[in-house]
Amino acid sequence: MLAAVIAVCALTFGYGYAGAQSLEAMLDGALVPSAAPALLGPITEGGRVGWACKPEQAAGSGSWQNAELPRP
Amino acid sequence: MRRSWLALALVIFAASPPHARAQMYPRATPVPRTTSIPALRALATQREVVERFHLGLDAEVRGDWQPAAAEFERVVALDPPEPQNSTARYDLAIAYANLHRLDDAARQLQAAIARDPGFLAAMANLIAVDLSRGDLRDARAVADRFVASAPDSARALYERGLVALRSGDTATAENDFGRLLHANPAYAVAHYDLGLAQARTNRYASAEREFQLAVDLAPGYARARFALGTVLLREGKRAQARAAFESVASDSASDPALRNLAVAMRDAIKSR
Repeated sequence: MLAAVIAVCALTFGYGYAGAQSLEAMLDGALVPSAAPALLGPITEGGRVGWACKPEQAAGSGSWQNAELPRP
Repeated sequence: MRRSWLALALVIFAASPPHARAQMYPRATPVPRTTSIPALRALATQREVVERFHLGLDAEVRGDWQPAAAEFERVVALDPPEPQNSTARYDLAIAYANLHRLDDAARQLQAAIARDPGFLAAMANLIAVDLSRGDLRDARAVADRFVASAPDSARALYERGLVALRSGDTATAENDFGRLLHANPAYAVAHYDLGLAQARTNRYASAEREFQLAVDLAPGYARARFALGTVLLREGKRAQARAAFESVASDSASDPALRNLAVAMRDAIKSR
C-alpha cells in the first residue's frame, strides 16, 4: 500500500530523476517470482523403484501438469 | 476362495526377488518359521517397521501430522534397510513440513538423499522446503543435483529456475525456464518467470513478449498482466500500460495488494 502511495506521488507530481529512481525500485519490488511448488505427496507402501510411485513419477516427468507445478 | 487368493499373494511375494520385496512395505509380514531368538527378534522388528509405516501413512492421509511424525520417527529409529529407510524419512519430512518444523524436514530429506542419491521426489521436496525456510544456498545445491539427475524433469527445471531467479542468477533462470518452455510451450507461469528474468536484465521487448504470452495463455493471470503493464511503462507505451493496470484493477479475483497497486498505477498514468 505504501508502495502504491509513493508510486502515485512520483507519477502525479513528477518528482524528477530521484522520484523516477524510487518508482523503478518499487515496480521492481512488485515483480516477484512465481510461487514455490507444493510438496509432493507421501510415498505409500507400494514403494518407489519399479512400482507405481506417484511422487517419483511427478518429480521425473517432463510435463508441467504431471509435475504438479503451480497454476497461474 | 478369499483364502486361496491370500495364499497365492503370499507365494508371489515370497518368490519375488529380495530387492523387489525391499521396495515396499507389505501388508502381510512373513510368518516366523524359526526358533532362533535373534531371527525372531529381527522378524519382530521387521513387523513393527511395517505396521508403524502403515499407521504413519494412514495418519498422513487424514492430515494428523503429529501422530504421523511419531510413527515415522519410530520407523527411522528402527533403522530399516534401503529403500524403506529413505522412504520413511521422506514421509517423515512431509509430516514435519506440515508441522512447520522446516529444519527437521530438511534434515530428513538430506538424509534420505544421502541414502538414495537418485531419490528425485526427495530432491523436489527438499528444494521446496529450502525455499520456505529461505536457505537459497542449499536449495541451489540440491537443484543442481536434481537437474543433473533428471535433465528433462519439468519440476527440476522449474525449481532451479526459481531458486536462480530468487538469488539473482538471471542467466541460469533464463536457461532453465527456456528449456522448460521448449517442452511445455503452453505453461503460462514459466513465460512469466522467463519474462521476469529478461526484465531484470533490462530486455524489455523480450520481457513484454513473454508476459504477453503468459496472459494470452491465462487471461486471469493478474500478476503477469501487472508485469506486462510495468514493462510497457518502461518502454514508454503509456496507453497500453494503463490498459494492463486497468485490467488488473478491475479483476476482483486478483490479489488485493496487487489490485491496489494497479489502481494507483492506472490513476497515476491517467492524471498526467
